[in-house]
Amino acid sequence: MPVAVSRRLFTVDQYHKMARSGILSEDDRVELLAGEIVDMSPIGSRHAACVKCLNQIFNESLQGQAVVSVQDPIRLGPRSEPQPDLALLKPRADFYANAHPGPQDVLLIIEVVETSAEVDRKLKLPLYAKAGIPEVWIFELSAKKVEVYRNPSARKYLVSETYTKKQTLSLQAYPHVNVDLSEVFRII
Amino acid sequence: MSVAVSRRLFTVDQYHEMARSGILSEDDRVELLAGEIVEMSPIGSRHASCVDRLTKTITMQIENSAIVRVQSPIRLGPRSEPQPDLALLKPRADFYAQAHPGPQDVLLIIEVAETSTDTDRKLKLPLYAKTGIPEVWIFELFTKQVDLYNPKAISLPAGVSARQGGFESGFSIDLIYEV
Repeated sequence: MPVAVSRRLFTVDQYHKMARSGILSEDDRVELLAGEIVDMSPIGSRHAACVKCLNQIFNESLQGQAVVSVQDPIRLGPRSEPQPDLALLKPRADFYANAHPGPQDVLLIIEVVETSAEVDRKLKLPLYAKAGIPEVWIFELSAKKVEVYRNPSARKYLVSETYTKKQTLSLQAYPHVNVDLSEVFRII
Repeated sequence: MSVAVSRRLFTVDQYHEMARSGILSEDDRVELLAGEIVEMSPIGSRHASCVDRLTKTITMQIENSAIVRVQSPIRLGPRSEPQPDLALLKPRADFYAQAHPGPQDVLLIIEVAETSTDTDRKLKLPLYAKTGIPEVWIFELFTKQVDLYNPKAISLPAGVSARQGGFESGFSIDLIYEV
């Protein structure tokens, strides 16, 4: 039953205060999206395998040119701290020990979705665009395709393309880094 | 933009922990409704005046046979702590200093609705019914109408009795007020 209520929104600082005071725990699978604390869906085995496979591909091909961040927080802005499935970050000696990476540190974000990607497409993607994340890939496991979003503007990505399982994707930040999608989708 | 997300729900204990750790302050006008922290609408002058009139009328008539609680919390259950405009409570010497009153302590809840009828009717009313609040009155300022809900007598959520005035357990109030 949808009721138009005005929910209390939280800042990233309040969100972390909840963790310090035990209201949220490190084991809680939640993200802060536009001030709302959203429960993340349980991760299925195909989803997990896709992330593991991509992690290996990027770690081998990037050779330290980027930090591969797996399901860790990105501090997008004062009210958003999502945990994308995978993020490629500008290399930094401390691996972002002092503060979570911000939008300016992110080269690519990847979200993996089984079927319904409502949260990812309608809620997270506009936040990524607004924060200026230069490139987002959404892996759709059921359809075996990848949506690629580039050129962020204030509300959305101006460029979007769909790649199928036989194509090769290259990274905007490092065009020499290619991902053969058949390598990923053959395991799914 | 309406997206089906699964929001994190909070318990009353977590809600109070937020107040202790400064995430919420005493000045925050929020209620905990079914685990969600909901912002309350600003109170307009007609709304405030209606609450004040009701407070006076009811207090004068019931004297010491009940406590009149105005815009303060009721601990409805593990995930709900609304702040109804007015609640009539069973008398207690400490005026509920040790703990907020629970549903078993409530005789009547009154909500005054100017703009917030959606929240009052669709979100709060089912919670009041579920926890066994015996009677709820909703004062509608625009239509100058009072809806009485008695969840024990009528099946929910449609339990509307559109009569005005009258309260079985002992007193009646003058519903003619200028808005």
